[in-house]
Amino acid sequence: MKSLWILIGMGLLAQDANWTTYHGNYSSTHHSSLTQITPANAKNLELKWTFQAQSLEKFEVTPLVVDGVMYITEAPNTIVALDAATGREFWIYEHKNPDVTYPCCGKINRGLALHNNTLYMGTLDGKLVAVDAITGQLRWEKVVVDYKQGFALTHAPLIIKDKVLIGTAGGELGIRGFLAAYDARTGKELWKFKTIPEPGEPGNETWAGDSWKHGGGPIWLTGSYDPALNLTYWGIGNAGPDWNAKVRPGDNLYTSSVIALDADTGKLKWHFQFTPHDEWDWDAVQTPVLVDREWRGKPRKMMLWANRNGFFYLIDRVTGEFLQGTPFVKLDWASGLDDKGRPMRVPGKVPSPQGTVIFPGVQGGTNWFAPSYSPKTDLFYLNVWDDYSSIFFAWDQEYELGKWYAGGGIKAEVQSTRRDRLARRDPKSGYGAVRALNPSTGAKVWEYKTTDVSDGGIVTTASNLLFTGNREGNVFALDATNGKLLWTLYLGGQVVASPVTYLVNGKQRVTIAVGHTLYTFGLRD
Amino acid sequence: MFFRFLVLLLPAATLAAQHSDTALKNPFQSPDDRARGGAFFRSQCASCHGVDGKGGASGPSLASGSFRHASNDEGLFRVITKGVAGTSMPGFSMNGREIWQIVGFIRGLSAGRAGAAKGNAAAGEQLFAANKCTNCHWLNGGGAPRGLDLSAIGTRLSAVELAQALVDPSAEVAPEYWMWTATVKNGQKLRGSRLNEDTFSLQILDSTGKLRSVLKADLQEQTLERRSAMPSFKDKLTAQQVDDVVAYLATLQGAAK
Repeated sequence: MKSLWILIGMGLLAQDANWTTYHGNYSSTHHSSLTQITPANAKNLELKWTFQAQSLEKFEVTPLVVDGVMYITEAPNTIVALDAATGREFWIYEHKNPDVTYPCCGKINRGLALHNNTLYMGTLDGKLVAVDAITGQLRWEKVVVDYKQGFALTHAPLIIKDKVLIGTAGGELGIRGFLAAYDARTGKELWKFKTIPEPGEPGNETWAGDSWKHGGGPIWLTGSYDPALNLTYWGIGNAGPDWNAKVRPGDNLYTSSVIALDADTGKLKWHFQFTPHDEWDWDAVQTPVLVDREWRGKPRKMMLWANRNGFFYLIDRVTGEFLQGTPFVKLDWASGLDDKGRPMRVPGKVPSPQGTVIFPGVQGGTNWFAPSYSPKTDLFYLNVWDDYSSIFFAWDQEYELGKWYAGGGIKAEVQSTRRDRLARRDPKSGYGAVRALNPSTGAKVWEYKTTDVSDGGIVTTASNLLFTGNREGNVFALDATNGKLLWTLYLGGQVVASPVTYLVNGKQRVTIAVGHTLYTFGLRD
Repeated sequence: MFFRFLVLLLPAATLAAQHSDTALKNPFQSPDDRARGGAFFRSQCASCHGVDGKGGASGPSLASGSFRHASNDEGLFRVITKGVAGTSMPGFSMNGREIWQIVGFIRGLSAGRAGAAKGNAAAGEQLFAANKCTNCHWLNGGGAPRGLDLSAIGTRLSAVELAQALVDPSAEVAPEYWMWTATVKNGQKLRGSRLNEDTFSLQILDSTGKLRSVLKADLQEQTLERRSAMPSFKDKLTAQQVDDVVAYLATLQGAAK
């Protein structure tokens, strides 16, 4: 108890002592005020403990840490509570999925939400489960959607007030996506926003005929929330079918868009579509990073968004007004953005039966893995895939329930996810980099180049450290002011998750999933 | 109904097959089945594995006849229904007949690899020996490890592909055989093929046949050429001799069973 008061006195029990939400905070900055680990001592980081997952699926979880207890999910839908100080397990909750489920890209789960000692998890079979955080016992289970129609729940839910928000994956299986809110105590559905408007609703005119019925618009990454505006922001995924867009003429709202919803009612306040009539599978499933900063001499509530389509956007998050957009990687499908932010498309840069080479490739200039914004440096950090292309193919395809509905395919030297253990593609086919952008201009301030690309997220700290990892199996710390490598360790498996940092027993720790193992680092005690 | 029953039976059959040579055989192998399998493949598999089955951004090539996660038709059936953990390969909820039809189509991508060879295999074997191919290549327990293991090359490449490999070996060469050269900071020259690479290091099979790992920080410079170290036999062999060597290579079907 005495140590608790000392910690409070030191201000160490501020919110950043814990990592309580998927993105670390409602603004989704992936920035921590912790400063024990610094650019000067990062070279002394050492392994504290590991957790070995039993699952051989991709380990995409971002852990939650609350008062010394860490909560993780292990693919596909197992929750584990463990001691953040030692890695020892307290309890395990296993959700049993049926043999056949419908995730597009692996039987994965990205994490949990926590509220009033209850953990919330979406499942591959379309359920939202509420589990007691102390006992690991199921409190309730709610069917969100009939998974047999091609749906899967893969992202961490978001808690707003007493609601649990969760969306649905399935953009390659002809779904019609939605975001729904449930009563955190009972599981009762409170509102639902469908990402594809039906006839009679604004936006349905952006779909030809019945194409809206299987128009995609999945949600597979947690959104953000501005309590002052009571708006919640979510990135919407690709239109379906992915590559044969001729069956859905029009802009195809609200695919490849960000939506701002009233958190109480689920009503749409505004939307901004990054990629109208998306023909490339460039989901706008990135993290909405909420930042208050100056824009042309005036304070502005902004949203920073590095999109899979290769442009970095500044958006007014009160109104949805497009402020600025600049390319952050090599791209050739658009010559730029007009003054409303609409891409000026280059003719012919679309999928075709014979295949069309397009930059960036199908995984985009970046993707779902978390970027970070540091108020200390006023820089935006992200993992980019640069100077790489894919060959995009399109072909006719009829919709069939529960079947793949992509209308085309992709060839690329850069694999969409790490598949081969040995990395030996042509280095000229593209590279990865951690890049720091000036939010005002979109200009690159520095970059740390890597041979292979990264599916890893980033966390920055108030001591100007940046932690991340990549597909090569390297985890590293950079100086956030200049990109200098301060510490690295080869861990031998791909990083497909974001790191977190927190305090346990007053000591700062960094945890990240690599391969099938969760690693926790800290300074020598 | 029969097909559903077949699917239900499969796990038990799989277990049994692990202890015998009685792996399930594909019961749907007619030309019509294969055509239907091709249609399913195009709609359900080609996005990741390519229309030609030779691989894409998300899925590996299925056209070589050799599969990482399956050793027979039954294994392919299992992979398609269950998926592959840790990869993007999902399990598919198609009925048993459809899956067998896809299996048949995939098998067809590599079927008859060696059958079209028109040369004289015995003459080809002599040419193979005379040209000292095993100075670089491994063959049935002997030779050198620098080049491709040819012990089962007849199951992996068609006659056309084998001929191309002889006359234009750099036309299509796997990355692990690209020519890598480097100069270490102390002036030492290194040459070999690049087996693996990350930001900090390279894993090399050098020209002396030695495995070595080098730190990029220790190198002055390095080059990677997208071509094979194998010489072209275009001007060394006549067209007939190329056919003969191809016919011999086509007989190389791996270890006897």
